[in-house]
Amino acid sequence: MQSKLSDIELIEQTLAGNQSAYTDLVKRHQRFVFTLAMRFAKGREDAEEIAQDCFIKAYRSLASFQGQSKFSTWLYSIVYTTAMTFLRKKRVATDSIDDESIHIQVENHSGYDVNNAENKSKSFYLNQAIEQLLPDDAIIITLFYKGEQSLEEIGQALGMEANTVKVKLFRARQRLKEKLERNLKHEVKELI
Amino acid sequence: MNNLEEKLWEYIDGRCTLDEQVAISALIAGDESVRLKYNQLLNFSQELSAMEIDEPPMAFTYNVMEAIRAEEARKPLTASINKRIIMGIAAFFVLTIFALLVYVAAGIHWSSVTLTSQIPSVSKLPEPNSFITRPVIMGFLFFDVVLGLFLIDTYLRRKKSTKQL
Repeated sequence: MQSKLSDIELIEQTLAGNQSAYTDLVKRHQRFVFTLAMRFAKGREDAEEIAQDCFIKAYRSLASFQGQSKFSTWLYSIVYTTAMTFLRKKRVATDSIDDESIHIQVENHSGYDVNNAENKSKSFYLNQAIEQLLPDDAIIITLFYKGEQSLEEIGQALGMEANTVKVKLFRARQRLKEKLERNLKHEVKELI
Repeated sequence: MNNLEEKLWEYIDGRCTLDEQVAISALIAGDESVRLKYNQLLNFSQELSAMEIDEPPMAFTYNVMEAIRAEEARKPLTASINKRIIMGIAAFFVLTIFALLVYVAAGIHWSSVTLTSQIPSVSKLPEPNSFITRPVIMGFLFFDVVLGLFLIDTYLRRKKSTKQL
């Protein structure tokens, strides 16, 4: 049985003309890329469009990937720029804390039912609260906890200093706790 | 920024120095309120790490690869030609012209050249009729026909695959 090829090996095969190697790369990273896209798009259809666009862009510029960082870090930087462009096109401001009101509006219309709280998993509530954060906060938390990315790698992907990411992560966790407290009220003690 | 909370997060994330680690461990062990806060943050961190991520639609990979294939099919023929081949052809012509100039220059008797004079007869170019023979022409035409058929085939294949998409 053939052992699992590394990302770099799959990239080399893709560049040599083997498209099925790129299919394997897509399969390997699609779940996380889609999750990151969901953090920006707040809807599956838009997220799918962003994620698909990211993989196409990555394929186009695969030859420019020099292997100085992990492929995932490089791919996430594409996700970030693609998603930001998507948001700009949708005229949703993303880079200001003042725009928090937009997200509060989103959460108020999300049809959240407190009485149904116990029927939902912790993961559901965490994801729901993360979706209510600003995109930068949401993506930093997701990359840090689920993307196996260090603060330095997150900084590389988002074009920020590692220290900035550290401060942003700290604040994002605080805001996430606040969201959970607001959403779950009593149940929050079990979660945090 | 809450200093204690920040330090506790650094401790949980494993980003403390050894000295800081020892100091925070002692603080957690010795202070009930710090211990409570630490346990709360640790629990929160563990929940975040265990959080499930989203699943894309079943046809996602297929859609991505189809989009890539469609894009490849739309690429003009010139884009798929290796740049090295183009550079090689260019280099061949440059070298040929350069060799020709050197050949001509070598045949000129510079001492006898005046401003009004013509290029001396020594610099005559090789006679083309000596190497353009019938077999050479036939070979050249055959090569052209094969190349033409190959290009037509490539064009038709591309057209067909674009129609299918």
